[in-house]
Amino acid sequence: MSLRKQTPSDFLKQIIGRPVVVKLNSGVDYRGVLACLDGYMNIAVEQTEEYVNGQLKNKYGDAFLRGNNGKSSRTRHLLFLTTWWHLCRSQHDIE
Amino acid sequence: MFSKSGPAVPELVDKCIGSRIHIVMKNDKEIVGTLLGFDDFVNMVLEDVTEFEITPEGRRITKLDQILLNGNNITMLIPGGEGPEV
Repeated sequence: MSLRKQTPSDFLKQIIGRPVVVKLNSGVDYRGVLACLDGYMNIAVEQTEEYVNGQLKNKYGDAFLRGNNGKSSRTRHLLFLTTWWHLCRSQHDIE
Repeated sequence: MFSKSGPAVPELVDKCIGSRIHIVMKNDKEIVGTLLGFDDFVNMVLEDVTEFEITPEGRRITKLDQILLNGNNITMLIPGGEGPEV
């Protein structure tokens, strides 16, 4: 078993350009190719598909998902509460 | 004279790297996985992950890949935990 220590920022750098699933607290999934991200975990996703309750609802050429990390708890204007990014190693139907 | 406050949270989490960990979230969700790493906000990188949604049916979703779990909604970390009984 390979033990490789990997911090969240290492992980995010590694998955740029790969298909990902971003699952929000609300249960909505966004599947697409991770285009870029910043230190606040704001991310840009290309060829995005929006799944609500497992059903495809929308498609977006580009999607911006707002991260919410930061020391400030005063600014609670969170558009999305991201739960996780799932690195898709297996083939997903992105096309 | 102040007594020592004991190990800090990051120190404790660091001890779990490489082991299984069970994470309870604020909503009705629990995650079990192998901890690969974390950061100052306790965002966590996990692999071989199983997601449990705590519903009357005890729904379970298994993902074998890696995930980055946002630490904002974490309530509790249980080192070596197996997760809820399905």
